[in-house]
Amino acid sequence: MSVDTSGAAQGAALRSDRTVLGNGLTVVGEHNPFAATVAAGYFVRTGARDETAEIAGVSHFLEHMMFKGTDRRTAADINRSFDELGAQYNAFTSEERTVYYGAVLPERLSELLDLLSDMMRPALRQEDFDVEKNVILEEIAMYEDRPHFRVFEVAGRRFWNGHPLGHSVLGGQDSIRALTREQMLTYFGRRYAPSNLILAVAGAYDWEAVTEEVASLTGAWEPFDAGRALARPDPAQGTGETEDSKLERVHTAVFAPGYAADDERRYAAAILGSVLGDDSGSRLFWSLVDKGLADSASLGHEASDGAGAFVGYVSSAPERATEVLDIYRRVLVQAQDDTLDAEEWRRAQRKLATGLTLRAETPLGRLVSLGVGYQSLGRYQSVQDVVDAVMRSSLEGGRALLADRPFDRLYLHTLGPANVPS
Amino acid sequence: MALNPSSERVYEHRLDNGLWLLFEPMPWLPTLSTTLMVPFGSATDPDGQEGSATVLHDWIQRGAGKLDSRAHSDALEGLGVRRGGGAGREMASLSASFLASELAEVLPLVASMVAEPRLDEHEFAPARELAQQELHSLADNPTQRLFNELMARFLEGGQGRSPYGTEAGLAALRAEGIRQDASRRLGPGGAILALAGGATWDAVKDGVERAFGGWRGSSVDLPEPVLQRPGRAHVAADSAQTQIGLAFPAPLPSDPDAYVYDLALHVLSGSMGARLFTEVREKRGLVYSVGASYRALHGFGYTLGYAGTTPERADETLRVVLAELARLSEGVAGDELERARVGTLSSVVMQGESSSARASRLASDALLRGRARTLEEIRVEVEKVDLAHMNDYLAEHPFPDPTVVTLGPRPLAEEVAA
Repeated sequence: MSVDTSGAAQGAALRSDRTVLGNGLTVVGEHNPFAATVAAGYFVRTGARDETAEIAGVSHFLEHMMFKGTDRRTAADINRSFDELGAQYNAFTSEERTVYYGAVLPERLSELLDLLSDMMRPALRQEDFDVEKNVILEEIAMYEDRPHFRVFEVAGRRFWNGHPLGHSVLGGQDSIRALTREQMLTYFGRRYAPSNLILAVAGAYDWEAVTEEVASLTGAWEPFDAGRALARPDPAQGTGETEDSKLERVHTAVFAPGYAADDERRYAAAILGSVLGDDSGSRLFWSLVDKGLADSASLGHEASDGAGAFVGYVSSAPERATEVLDIYRRVLVQAQDDTLDAEEWRRAQRKLATGLTLRAETPLGRLVSLGVGYQSLGRYQSVQDVVDAVMRSSLEGGRALLADRPFDRLYLHTLGPANVPS
Repeated sequence: MALNPSSERVYEHRLDNGLWLLFEPMPWLPTLSTTLMVPFGSATDPDGQEGSATVLHDWIQRGAGKLDSRAHSDALEGLGVRRGGGAGREMASLSASFLASELAEVLPLVASMVAEPRLDEHEFAPARELAQQELHSLADNPTQRLFNELMARFLEGGQGRSPYGTEAGLAALRAEGIRQDASRRLGPGGAILALAGGATWDAVKDGVERAFGGWRGSSVDLPEPVLQRPGRAHVAADSAQTQIGLAFPAPLPSDPDAYVYDLALHVLSGSMGARLFTEVREKRGLVYSVGASYRALHGFGYTLGYAGTTPERADETLRVVLAELARLSEGVAGDELERARVGTLSSVVMQGESSSARASRLASDALLRGRARTLEEIRVEVEKVDLAHMNDYLAEHPFPDPTVVTLGPRPLAEEVAA
């Protein structure tokens, strides 16, 4: 079965572009003649997994500092410039990558590229570093009040069991307080090589103008090597718990071994995750949320560089936590023992296909999948390519994943008030 | 400024049963989004049954027409539909996004939830149980809790009630009571159905007539929102940050100066270059998150402000936020207005590229302004705002005293809280 995502011949009209500059920077694009705007972003292959414990949180802190000025611009200049362009813009950091992006009307693209490219060579001034450190500490405090987030910090570290994918993106109060500007400069000098960045552009643009301008803006960037060692994961299984008497609910993070971003099985894993744990209509939904036993119960698959995992979450009342976690676990284990149904597989395929198509409606939405896709695979994939791969992914492929019995190797971590059995 | 040609036209039609249909074509898209808004929410929950709207909203999604809960959900998901929605203070919404080719099959499934919900007895207890779980989860979500506490102290009666309901209200609910509630306020009068995406008006209108034409039922009038006297309150919570919330009245969306107000608020808090972000975060490093945004209920506009900071910096944070609110009455500079204008115009175009954003804007325009706006109309109105008029307006209309609620380990100091 196929799903056609092209409206009014849009699919046929899309064009992909790619240029590798002399310094090693890859520039990729997806031109859409129907777009009224254009989005551009730098995708840096660096994140928490590329940090040591001593500098935990530096990737994310650096992401903030990249907005704090360059040799040509102050922090206020950068914010004001984005505003003058009418840009929607932001940045994010994960274990895997750091991304800086903006979307503007097509006539402002040249200025956006100038601004984003300038930001990639930041001044990292001491006084800005000192003020921004407080903002990072406030961000850490904010997440301390979000148990849904906190439980993943602990559970991820335990599950990945020493593998860098278990590193905290925010870092801790202590590592951030102790971090120096010099350590950040060293990290920047090690990770922000032109060859470790991809500039992606999506929407309405003139490719020749883009590549000419970017070549001139980044011509002075010195090439160097910024690799990433891909350690083999040895994930933990079992249970863990963290007690916090302030909490009313029990928040549980669930992990199980999965597949890497370049593994063909990632499509089947994504569909399987949806069959078992989508927000609506999944096995976990019917077993827990529909029955009112938990207000949230989910599972999905996250494919990363060299490794992947099924990642889930469930929230319940303390007095029901044992029952809820038993059911959660049983739903996953039973899927391995009985069988997948062709209809539920097809429903999950179709939901994923719709989701992929919806996200690509806007250049900004499309930019992220374009950049991440290129970074993971080293090649272009259209939305239709991904939708086709999802729709082609067979039920047998899903059954083969279950035959490996990933859910016999679950790691569950609970965060909640005292005396919650896991 | 280039706008897509389709923004020239919004199609409208009033069904015989009162349902108001709006559609904006986006013919280049393979997708279609719908937003259905029905006038039931916590403001019209029966007294003593707070949380009724939330339970009703859940229950109508548990089987409709010939299909039980499971079969109905499977049918939607088999068409690849992505769903959303919830019960709010005044309106409940059901939204759906899907491939436009499935329109004729999706519409009847959406319509059946409001036109012929089964409200099966055995589905009531889990629907209520889920609402209770969500209410309890609020305790672990200080920001959401803050806004509930703030609204309860900002508005009297109906609109001050949270859609989460109350412990006692949810406990008092009975299946028969919710069925009566459904017959009282789950009707097409005052309901709005907005669609945007890759379909034709003929297909949309025919499909909607066929699916929703048979919907019957009565509706209730919304109470007028009533303001409480502005004041300060603190809610004790054992949290790492102190949450600071502010609320004060603002012009109606239909006010002749609504665009002036909107742009002024953009100068205050529309971006990372705006005044609040610059003064509170960039210069002083007091917060990660700070901002102010405009909201509207039926016949009432207001502005909400927010900052989250560690307790020892809460006094200074509130002081700086209040000072920035007051400073706006001294006027804005020409370059500030121009940045706010270009940001607003650009975001209008970007919003115009997303089917779900367009559908929800159509629905909210219909609800709050009583008519749809094209993107072109918004552009023209935003272009019209001039600096001298804005500064006169700001001088004559300083922000009113806000209601301030803090939530955290300790109250703020007297001189700030006084």
